[in-house]
Amino acid sequence: MGKWFKSGAPWIWMTGGAVSISLIAVLGLLLLIAWRGLSYFWPATIYQWQMQDENGKPYTLIGEIHDREQVPTERLVAAGHHFAANPGEFVNRFLVKTGNREFVSLDFRWILQTDIVSRSAPVGVAMIERSQNGNFYGYPVAIVEAGQRLPAQGDIADTLQQYIQRAVGLNKQAEQLQKQDIGSVNYDLERLRLKGRKYELDNALTAERQAELAQQRQQLQQKYQVLEKQLFSLREQAGRDAVIVKDMRGQEVTLPLDTVLDVSYVNGMGFWQKLTTWCVRIGHFVSDDPREANTEGGVFPAIFGTVFMVLLMAIIVTPFGVIAAIYLHEYARKGILTKIIRIAVINLAGVPSIVYGVFGLGFFVYMVGGSIDKLFYPEALPSPTFGSPGVIWSALTLAILTLPVVIVSTEEGLSRIPSAIRQGSLALGATKAETLWRIVIPMASPAIMTGLILAVARAAGEVAPLMLVGVVKLAPNLPVDMNFPFVHLERKFMHLGFHIYDVGFQSPNVEAARPLVYATSFLLVTVIVALNLTAISVRNHLREKYRSLEN
Amino acid sequence: MISIDASLMTAVAKVDLKNLPPEQTALEIRDLNLHYGDKQALFDVSMKIPKKKVTAFIGPSGCGKSTLLRCINRMNDLVDNCRIDGEILLNGHNIYDKKVDVAKLRRNVGMVFQRPNPFPKSIYENVVYGLRLQGINNRRELDEACERSLRGAAIWDEVKDRLHDNAFGLSGGQQQRLVIARAIAIEPEVLLLDEPTSALDPISTLTIEELITELKTRFTVVIVTHNMQQAARVSDQTAFMYMGELVEYGDTNTIFTTPRQSKTEDYITGRYG
Repeated sequence: MGKWFKSGAPWIWMTGGAVSISLIAVLGLLLLIAWRGLSYFWPATIYQWQMQDENGKPYTLIGEIHDREQVPTERLVAAGHHFAANPGEFVNRFLVKTGNREFVSLDFRWILQTDIVSRSAPVGVAMIERSQNGNFYGYPVAIVEAGQRLPAQGDIADTLQQYIQRAVGLNKQAEQLQKQDIGSVNYDLERLRLKGRKYELDNALTAERQAELAQQRQQLQQKYQVLEKQLFSLREQAGRDAVIVKDMRGQEVTLPLDTVLDVSYVNGMGFWQKLTTWCVRIGHFVSDDPREANTEGGVFPAIFGTVFMVLLMAIIVTPFGVIAAIYLHEYARKGILTKIIRIAVINLAGVPSIVYGVFGLGFFVYMVGGSIDKLFYPEALPSPTFGSPGVIWSALTLAILTLPVVIVSTEEGLSRIPSAIRQGSLALGATKAETLWRIVIPMASPAIMTGLILAVARAAGEVAPLMLVGVVKLAPNLPVDMNFPFVHLERKFMHLGFHIYDVGFQSPNVEAARPLVYATSFLLVTVIVALNLTAISVRNHLREKYRSLEN
Repeated sequence: MISIDASLMTAVAKVDLKNLPPEQTALEIRDLNLHYGDKQALFDVSMKIPKKKVTAFIGPSGCGKSTLLRCINRMNDLVDNCRIDGEILLNGHNIYDKKVDVAKLRRNVGMVFQRPNPFPKSIYENVVYGLRLQGINNRRELDEACERSLRGAAIWDEVKDRLHDNAFGLSGGQQQRLVIARAIAIEPEVLLLDEPTSALDPISTLTIEELITELKTRFTVVIVTHNMQQAARVSDQTAFMYMGELVEYGDTNTIFTTPRQSKTEDYITGRYG
């Protein structure tokens, strides 16, 4: 035994074990959120249940199974259930998503195994995805074109698909018109108003200018009216048709096609078809705007906001951190003061992030932003331009938060450069600054990248401070668009981390939101990993370039 | 006394080091004292180093020979709490004068270190580094200087086909010659070699030694070495230092055959060091 200890084997087992536990933890986490998040998009079978309630009254239920669990019979009995026959100790129950939110009180409901008479998966049942009120499950019966019910001929599925595609295309056009053309007219109108206000403030609003502004305004308004007319006609065309669907109550319901996004007969699909649908749904999730209080639709603005904010932060933090590190390492005299500063910098990394958020709100948003508004945007006051939370303040706050990481790793990189190489440069007649620029900083660049990687990893996952300095539940406009000056740093933005919190905890429809929490978490991890991998590949490239001799 | 093959010694006319005329003097060191904090490392060193000759500094470890060498291009300025008194005249001007631009001085006094220290750049960029510092960016001028320097350092034939490869791909001896090429590319007057072969194998050492003999036709060379045979082989003058003092300085032949000081004799015969 003693020999075994001396051989070092237990030590190896212990260290190896620690590594395995860490790996299992990380992989387990990733697998869980990936499985839960990605399986949400897989087209689930739509079942039709013949049910019988406690009083023996039959009814039909159509929907997808979302969850299943075993409940002790005792508990159900205690809750007031009574069973005709003894079901045993446990009863299975299923959580069923029934959709049809406007016709039933709850679109998720628990059903007991004992109430089920029979279950089937009919091929004709369709899942209709809508832009309002969630999914609808039922049997499409007929199509209504411009108020006329078309006679049923052959398979309704193909015809319906065509009609839906037409409506979706028109809706898309309408949306584009509204977002781009009408959006830019509105933006120009607002700028005109500000221009007029500015003249007014400067006491330069002459009659001539007033007339000019009024003329421009009128032009824009005319343009607006034309566009508005187009928009209305597009919408009207999109709403021309409707589909009649027989729902689980056996009633025929008319659904206007301008709210329908897609229809799928899931039960008739083969594996490859399901796989295609799965991919398409994931594509929609990452590229669409959110709908219905973020519980439906995609998360594109949140992805964009996260990446944009992190990149902005990287652009701010890198030069500051590197310059500070160079001063501390190369120029500052090695004394007690430098030591204190260095310790203070390292300790900054330990300050809770919410404190940075409070600081960002007080300093950046109110003080700096408020001053910028007073100096440069007085015409917009009292509504703030930079004086309210926005993406630039979020990036700056996170830049301060991650500054210590960049400083520490840059300093480490600087101290690893052999003095022989610095002296070689000095001996050739280079000044200290020339040596820094030409030799030292390029050689330290892999270390700088390491600092940046750590900073990005920390910043992309940070949510708490952002809630104070710029993140919102829903930002209709991205920080980058086609309106001059194209990059709007003062705008609020969406963030995947906050999106998870919002969907998970602030959502009106908990059951619908849960899978989205997993999907969004998985996406956030993917985004961070992608950002890090990019940075790591850049660093490895630099390392290869500046690898110095080992001797 | 260690026997030294006479043919190895460079046969040159003896130079009168005491009364060297100014036009033949590359460097004159006058009463140089150097302190690292409280510790004195050099004591009243005075000597004249002739132009276009090889002068070797020998002595046991810690005797101050490298320190003295590093005074000549003011590398000791980089050391904290290093104090220097006395003068070093380069062409009659004191390099420790307050008005002297250190970077400019180092262009005139090149240096090669103990271990090869190429920059993490291509061979070409290593050689033209000093020229680029002087603002020369003309491609043709740089190409010419690069070839001239690499030829001068006897490495051109080995690297001419891979000038744009990373310098770290070269062997140690090649790297050291590359570093010499880099130093001579800026055409200094004086070339300081600080134990240039101590990290190299015997064959590379021989190549470098041959190179040194060639270099003295164009530059004044000062070499620090702990290898006495090397000093005997390559140098014209030898200075023996001990405990921070210049013990004996003279013609290499004389120092190695008939040293005047007993300390020199003890060191040369291998009684210590």
